[in-house]
Amino acid sequence: MSVMPNIDPKAGEAAKPRVLDPAELDRMAMHFVGNLNRYRENIVIPKSNGPVQIKTNEEKLIETAVESCAFKSAMACVMGYGLGAALGLFSASVNPNMADPFANEKKQTAREVFREMRSTTHSYAKNFALIGAVFSIVECTIESKRGVTDWRNGTYAGGITGGLIGLRAGIKAGIIGGLGFAAFSSAIDYYMHMR
Amino acid sequence: MAMPQISVADQAKLQLMQEMEIEMMSDLYNRMTNACHKKCIPPRYGESELGKGEMVCIDRCVAKYLDIHEKIGKKLTAMSMQDEELIKKMSS
Repeated sequence: MSVMPNIDPKAGEAAKPRVLDPAELDRMAMHFVGNLNRYRENIVIPKSNGPVQIKTNEEKLIETAVESCAFKSAMACVMGYGLGAALGLFSASVNPNMADPFANEKKQTAREVFREMRSTTHSYAKNFALIGAVFSIVECTIESKRGVTDWRNGTYAGGITGGLIGLRAGIKAGIIGGLGFAAFSSAIDYYMHMR
Repeated sequence: MAMPQISVADQAKLQLMQEMEIEMMSDLYNRMTNACHKKCIPPRYGESELGKGEMVCIDRCVAKYLDIHEKIGKKLTAMSMQDEELIKKMSS
C-alpha cells in the first residue's frame, strides 16, 4: 500500500514526492492502533446523525452518581418511606383503637391518640421503605448483570423480593409471596409503560 | 505551532499521517456505533432514554470493541512486519 502525496513536482529538490514504504506504514499502524489515549480536545466525532454534544467531566460524574444502583435504592427507600407514612396515617385514622384493651382509663387524650398514630405511621413507613429499597437494589443488580432492559427485570426482582418477605412465615408463604409480588410488579410495569 | 525545520516533504507526510489517522478514527467510531447499536438496543422501544441495562451493555460493548481492535490490529501489523522481513531476506 503505497501512497503518493499530492505535491507540485516542479518545485525544488526539497519537495520531491515521498512514497510511504511498507515498513513506515507498519510503524504508523502500530502507533495508531496501540495509542488509544487521546486528549479530549482532539476528539473527532462525525456529525452524521445529528448535533454532537460532548458531556463535560462534571456532568459525567453527576450522571454516574445518580444512575448508580446505590442512589436509586436510596431514592426508592425515601419514596417508600413517604408512601408508607401516608398509608400508615390513613390507616391509623381509620383504625384508631390499636392500643391494649386493659388501659381504657389510662389516657384517652389527644396526646395518646397522636402517639399511636405516629407509631403506626412509622411502622408502615419502615415496611414500605424496606420493600422499596430491596426491590430497587435487586432489580438494578439483575438489570446490570443481564445488560438488557425489558419487562423481565421487574418480574424477577418482584419474585425475589416477595420471596424474601414471605420467607419469614415459611417456605410456602415465601413461594406464594414471591409469585404474587412478581405478578404485581409486572402489572405495575405494564401499566407504566403503556401510558 | 511553528515548524521551521520540517521540510516540505516531511510536512506532506505529516499531513498524510494526520488525514489517515482521522479517517481511521472516524471509521472505527462509525463501525463501533453500528455494531454496539445492533447488539445492545432492541429494535422496538418505547422511550428515548437509555435504560440501565442498555447503558451497561453499551459500556461493555465499547470496551470490548476497543480492546479487540487494539489486539487484532497489533497482531496483524506484527504479522505484516514479519512478512516484510521475510520477503526482504529472500530477495536479498
